[in-house]
Amino acid sequence: MAFRRLYEATAPSLLGVALRILRQRERAEDVLQDAFVNIWNRASGYQAALSQPMTCLTAIVRNRALDELRSSARHAAESLADEETGTTHDIEDASPGPQALLEQAGDALAIRDCLDEIEGPQRQCLALAFYQGLSHAEVAAHIGSPIGSVKGWIRRALDKLKRCLDRLA
Amino acid sequence: MNYNKPELIDKLAAEYVLGTMSARVRRRFQKILRTSLATQRAVQDWEQRLTPLARAVPAVKPRAATWDAIERRTGGAARTAEKSSGSFLGLIKPALGVAFGVLATLGVVRLFPDAVIPIDKIVQSRSTLPESYVGLLTDANNNPVVLASSTRHGKTMSIKMLRKVDVPAGKVLQLWAIPAEGAAFPLGVVPAEGKSTFQMADTSEKLLSKVPRLGVSIEDAPVQTGAQPSTYVLTGNCVKLW
Repeated sequence: MAFRRLYEATAPSLLGVALRILRQRERAEDVLQDAFVNIWNRASGYQAALSQPMTCLTAIVRNRALDELRSSARHAAESLADEETGTTHDIEDASPGPQALLEQAGDALAIRDCLDEIEGPQRQCLALAFYQGLSHAEVAAHIGSPIGSVKGWIRRALDKLKRCLDRLA
Repeated sequence: MNYNKPELIDKLAAEYVLGTMSARVRRRFQKILRTSLATQRAVQDWEQRLTPLARAVPAVKPRAATWDAIERRTGGAARTAEKSSGSFLGLIKPALGVAFGVLATLGVVRLFPDAVIPIDKIVQSRSTLPESYVGLLTDANNNPVVLASSTRHGKTMSIKMLRKVDVPAGKVLQLWAIPAEGAAFPLGVVPAEGKSTFQMADTSEKLLSKVPRLGVSIEDAPVQTGAQPSTYVLTGNCVKLW
């Protein structure tokens, strides 16, 4: 039952993260399922220790979601289908956008000052990449800027964030 | 490309965790990640920086079918796992109690102060140990007695007693931090045998970064801040595991 309780306590947050990236409920639920089965299968045979469990769980789910998103055949087919059929995504329009999420996270984690150091376009790219799992090329297409500029902005955003977080630590 | 350059590893790890790599670059990086400890470490560092940003994402309740599928795929073991003592679930169960206490007090968003649930396997499965402070205390005959560990930015101290300590009735074993400079200060109470965890007043980083030694004394009751130890019955080094 403990595993079930762990699932119940963490799965809604994790599904939210996967759904943001994949934008399709079915695929996000599959990623969640795979992640928990994987956690279960790898669980035995280790010694007790402390870790950062929610960070680890979220990282596992994000990585699986990103792998799924990047699985080229499905990704390409889906993009085509979206364009042709106008398939709606499974995220409500009223839910906060990537930049709003980044600001909320900044407040919740008390790192708003770090985020404020990152200039507008850089912050927008960072938020799109992190919350929606967009690649450099996809971010560039999304905001209508050259990919070279986007790569530079994201690089600088990450550098600033790293320096600021390391200072806080 | 020279994957031995720390700057390059750091740059790629950041892009991997953020998620901006194309499918091809991502697959290539994952191959390196499987065998390179430095790369695993860099990824872990970036996960610690970026992943908490996901907390702002609204939660979505999974369909019941998803848990059913997990149960099926684990052979129903997930449902009954609590019965198998010494298993992963046996280990996380007490900590889950702590987590749910936090949940009740602070709400869902605050459920996830990292280092509340010792799901060590997850980190272990990622092939690297978390940044932690570790203390090994020995008795007068140099026998190892207490293993104390806490993640760098966590507030939970995990204690494993490597051998039983005879504690007079009504007394407690008090764990102390012994800084390089200044007076010792209490961290918490350890059991006479077995394993336990306790919450510290602050993160390990804040409390232990300038503490080279730990000590255990026998006291009448858990001491308050500002108290001083009677006599240390156990002492040992406190080191950074990174």
